[in-house]
Amino acid sequence: MTTDPSSLDPFQTQVLWQRLIAICDEAATSLVRTAYSSVVRDYHDYCCGLFDADGNLLAHSTKTTAGFIGIIPEVMRHFLRRYDQRDIKPGDVMITNDPWLASGHLLDISAATPVFDGPNLVGFALCVVHHLDMGGRMATTESKDMYEEGLKVPILKLYRRGRIDDQVIDILRANVRVPDKVIGDLKAQVAANNVCARGLLKMIGESGLTGLGDLGAEIVRRSEASLRAKIMQLADGVYTNHVTLPPIGGCPDKIEIRVALTIRGDEIIVDYAGSSGQVSAALNVPFNMTRSYSTYPIKLALDPDVPNNDGCLAPIKVTCPEGTLLNCRPPAATWGRTIIAHNLPEIVFGALAKAAPEKVVAGSGSTPLSAMYVHGRKQNGRAFIGVVAHLGGLGAGQGYDGPSCTSFPFNVSNIPIEVTENDAAILYLRKELVPDSGGPGEFRGGLGQEVEFSIPDGGHAPDGPVTAGVRGSGRHPDSTYPVFGRLGGGVGRNEGLLLNHQPISHGAQQQLRPGDRVTIRLPGGGGYGDPLRRHVDAVVRDVQRGHVSIKGAVDDYGVAIEPETLNLDEEQTTTNRRKRT
Amino acid sequence: MGDDVADTDGLAPARFRIGIDIGGTFTDFTAVDDVTGKITVTKHLTTPDQPEKAVLAGLEGLTERLPDLLPQSEAVVHATTLATNVVIERKGAPTALLTTEGFRDILEIGRESRYHLYDPFIRFPVPLIPRPLRVGVSERVYADGTVIKPLDEDDVLGAVELLRSAGVRSVAVCYLHAYREPEHERRTRDLLLDALPGVSVSLSHEVHPEPKEYERTSTTVVDAYVKPVIDGYLERLEARLDRLGYSQRLLMMQSNGGVISAETARRHPIQIIESGPAAGVEAAAYYGRLLGEHDVVSFDMGGTTAKLCLLQGGDAARTRSFEVDRVSRFRQGSGIPVAIPVYDLLEIGAGGGSIARLNDLGLLQVGPDSAGSDPGPACYRSGGTAPTVTDANVVLGHLDPDHFLGGEMPLDAAAARTAVNEDIAKPSELPVRQAACSIVDLVNETMAAAARIHIADKGKDAKGLTIVAFGGAGPLHACALARKLGCRRVIIPPLPGVMSSFGLLATSLAFEQAAAIRQLLDELDGSEIEKQRRDLEIAAAAALPDNAAERFRCIAEICHLSQDYPLEVEISGDLGKPLTLEKAKADFRRQYEDTYGRTDDDNPLELVALRVQALSPPRPIEMPALERSDTRGTPASAEENRTRQIYQRSRDEMVEAPVFVRESLKPGTEVAGPAVIEERESTTVLGVGDLAIVDDIGCLVIQIAPTGAEAVQRHPEFASS
Repeated sequence: MTTDPSSLDPFQTQVLWQRLIAICDEAATSLVRTAYSSVVRDYHDYCCGLFDADGNLLAHSTKTTAGFIGIIPEVMRHFLRRYDQRDIKPGDVMITNDPWLASGHLLDISAATPVFDGPNLVGFALCVVHHLDMGGRMATTESKDMYEEGLKVPILKLYRRGRIDDQVIDILRANVRVPDKVIGDLKAQVAANNVCARGLLKMIGESGLTGLGDLGAEIVRRSEASLRAKIMQLADGVYTNHVTLPPIGGCPDKIEIRVALTIRGDEIIVDYAGSSGQVSAALNVPFNMTRSYSTYPIKLALDPDVPNNDGCLAPIKVTCPEGTLLNCRPPAATWGRTIIAHNLPEIVFGALAKAAPEKVVAGSGSTPLSAMYVHGRKQNGRAFIGVVAHLGGLGAGQGYDGPSCTSFPFNVSNIPIEVTENDAAILYLRKELVPDSGGPGEFRGGLGQEVEFSIPDGGHAPDGPVTAGVRGSGRHPDSTYPVFGRLGGGVGRNEGLLLNHQPISHGAQQQLRPGDRVTIRLPGGGGYGDPLRRHVDAVVRDVQRGHVSIKGAVDDYGVAIEPETLNLDEEQTTTNRRKRT
Repeated sequence: MGDDVADTDGLAPARFRIGIDIGGTFTDFTAVDDVTGKITVTKHLTTPDQPEKAVLAGLEGLTERLPDLLPQSEAVVHATTLATNVVIERKGAPTALLTTEGFRDILEIGRESRYHLYDPFIRFPVPLIPRPLRVGVSERVYADGTVIKPLDEDDVLGAVELLRSAGVRSVAVCYLHAYREPEHERRTRDLLLDALPGVSVSLSHEVHPEPKEYERTSTTVVDAYVKPVIDGYLERLEARLDRLGYSQRLLMMQSNGGVISAETARRHPIQIIESGPAAGVEAAAYYGRLLGEHDVVSFDMGGTTAKLCLLQGGDAARTRSFEVDRVSRFRQGSGIPVAIPVYDLLEIGAGGGSIARLNDLGLLQVGPDSAGSDPGPACYRSGGTAPTVTDANVVLGHLDPDHFLGGEMPLDAAAARTAVNEDIAKPSELPVRQAACSIVDLVNETMAAAARIHIADKGKDAKGLTIVAFGGAGPLHACALARKLGCRRVIIPPLPGVMSSFGLLATSLAFEQAAAIRQLLDELDGSEIEKQRRDLEIAAAAALPDNAAERFRCIAEICHLSQDYPLEVEISGDLGKPLTLEKAKADFRRQYEDTYGRTDDDNPLELVALRVQALSPPRPIEMPALERSDTRGTPASAEENRTRQIYQRSRDEMVEAPVFVRESLKPGTEVAGPAVIEERESTTVLGVGDLAIVDDIGCLVIQIAPTGAEAVQRHPEFASS
């Protein structure tokens, strides 16, 4: 480690660093408490970050979805490009939802509040939230360009010197389907930034710092050095991976993603040259999001313990030719960017596995996110938007069985059934684990689940049809893109998206009527290592816990279980396993 | 003492009150003699398999000193970690879960998010009830409470067969939207009790009548899982107390303060899950009241964790985001949620056993993992080699290796020194003393950093707060923590090692009743809502023993329409009068802006719920005035002129400090820092300039020296090469 150039010793750095994270967490708590939609309150699709006066990211909230963490530094830089520091005044709040300057689709609004200590600008609080609606066609892959997708808010000031610009609010209100919730959530973002700013000023006051410059430099320097040291431990080389995604509704093109990971000394270059070009469906990924989901898996695999900040991004360079799927040009349609971008961590893992297999897990049944936006009117005439998002099982790893039904690589919580049924004209019919869906392996993938809901009829029927943007994962054991196992582990199973028991393509919108029934089958995670090497006790336990059926124990693991007692048939198991090896 | 007090005929059981707190390592006892004010305490090793054993052994010990104790006792108040331990160790009774058909896996699926974004190998707790014992029942209620599908009673009876053959002793029932229409849950209970006599049943709408099915299911399952164990334990304990001559009701501490009868606790054991920590908060509140300090930080530091709780105006806040059995102890979301109100405690992985190391970045790290009692700190010489906070305190002279636990457990100073030297000092090329100093300083800073957030979150300024410190390590770190936080006063109550059992006696009877309202404030019928409040008062008072309710508190939960997290607004006055509601609105707006800053939110306000607490006054404990020293205001002399070298941070050197024995310090005595005050279970360290005064009841009231130039300290570089 190089000599410390700053006046802060490592002890103080550590303490203040922890406090910055706690301030972001406090901001996130305030966001949730003042929010109006379940997307913020229960689904947790947001991020609260804290920056120094030059716009360097120093900390973000513990609770956030992963896609935002590599993006908010870019948003902050764009705010500072638009407004010279001299034009930024106390009480200002800047906002934008520009997909290229911010987080890749119109639904996310970023809001930044400058923090002044007396006359001095000391930093910025930033909060990005996925809003319920931004007008346009709503959730669908079918849009051909951004203009179909809703209202774009260029970088502007929502507040000037503490005064809200009512015209901005009026324009937003006039363009969205559930204005009270959208405006309410936007004001919750302001509340989160207020709380963040107050916490930061208190910390500065108590610590005797004059600004965040030294502290920021120190945090970034240490984090960068840590990740570089971890990269150094890997063998230099070029590691590649290549997948062809299964067909996506609304998109006629075949989608291929190629990645080349160049590890050279203490640096990694992630290059996507050779991947598909821009498509005329709402699947294009602005580069901010490509970078975010390319750096995240590397940090996750190599240096998970250091809190994230700008320093963690410095040793990783992400490249992709402009005008392609993963670096699209305006005004490409981008609503479903995560249908593509969520796959990047797993694809990067696939390449990284060639250098360090023990550091990465197998494919995940929750990748990419399977979520549906369901919009209609209740009988009382009130518009509703419900979000139905449930997840598959995580991939297994060395010494590690994947957990069932868990977010990856994004990080959202399901919205409770009881909340959704209160909000929207939706009736859940079932939500259950699917035994044997976890990819078999020495270490087993987590289980997927089956979720079914219908549009109620009779007294609870909606007023008119319900529009649903249906998104499954599209991953299938027989497709070009199953939920991969690793080192001999099997693929995750359980797949499909059905409307009234008939398979439908995912991505495109559907009109649902009372009595219609949607079934979502979410795959299990991929297995890791040869299933015949799985410890028999672990298989017996799987059967006793209902994760593996008696048939699955024999078919996948060669383990024979007595049906009456659920105990092991040792002799038969030995025979089975001997026969197969 | 007490020999001059004769028994008054017929009114015998009015003399003593007993507090019993079962902790992880020790079971603590406090007996208060209300006639003389004399307090008798004892400690006994906890007997985890049969907790009543330790309780009886301890009571026996007390009875030797206080003959006829139980027949003359008016109250036995009890707190225990039993429920939590049953969950952590998975020692509950075989339990089954009945759910709406199609939803039996809600318990296992949970909320589907990762509690730690950067852990690639994230783990979750194993559900308390395995899939084969989770049974779906055909029935369905919709969000508005209408029954879409009637309860299929044959399904319930079919489940009974499975439950019987699996030897199930407890059943949790959680149907969707049962908080709105509970009839199916009630009917299910009747059917279960008919078919399986003796089985215990927990219904979700009784345990936690709120939406969000995972949290409600989880809470109900924990309640069901611990119920047979708690029920059996309390039944046995009540029988034993009865045999010992105790004729009153056994009382239990609740997780959010106040006490309830053991009978209620046996029905809803979830209510006592955090009773131990709550007792500590009650004790701090008691001393706060006694000494006229209303804004207090309760600071309880033991071997593994420190618990901090802010009391404002004598009362602590409550939270419903409590979890048991966390996979990652200090990560929210890694445990099993229990959505009952508990004291809003801050638990930090900072205790005497917290392990110090240099991390990947070359930065010193202390905790959150602890050497606990096994293998323990290096100086215990029971297998531990990693340096801990206790080892650092030995190196710095804060702890006397020869007087630990009154000398019963000698510590190995050389082993402490070696551990600190090998793991910290050598790799960072520092003198061992400085390394030890940094360990203690960092653990103090870790607590201070967390406490600052907690205090700021509640909108308080640390300068106006007094720390009440207890637990084995609390008094050792309290003055340094106070200095870091900017608190000016520290109180070390008598017998800090058994404070929680004392706290059990300091609390009052309390019961809360709530009603969901969900109406716009502007559309409320004032007289109707006032009537509802009166009804709540009657219901809450009825839960307390005869005429115990002395006063009521009314709290309105208000938010903007469609928000989910109301603020609490205290209501005084008749809700039927428009002025009361206008004031509530104004109070809400002020509180909202204070909490979240200016947001220009002009949405209409909704009254979410009304809560009424019936409160009885806490029974005063008449602390006897101790014998005064005739040299009031003059410095005490050190016991047999004992002194030792302790490290003084402000001077960065070892200084000669006098050592006092706490029991020998008479009221009025002053002790000026640097100094050490030792007692059997704890040690208080005073820094330079700190001044402790022994008050009339034996509290050490310490004025903390102003920080001045010491506020920002420079520390040696810990970077590794």
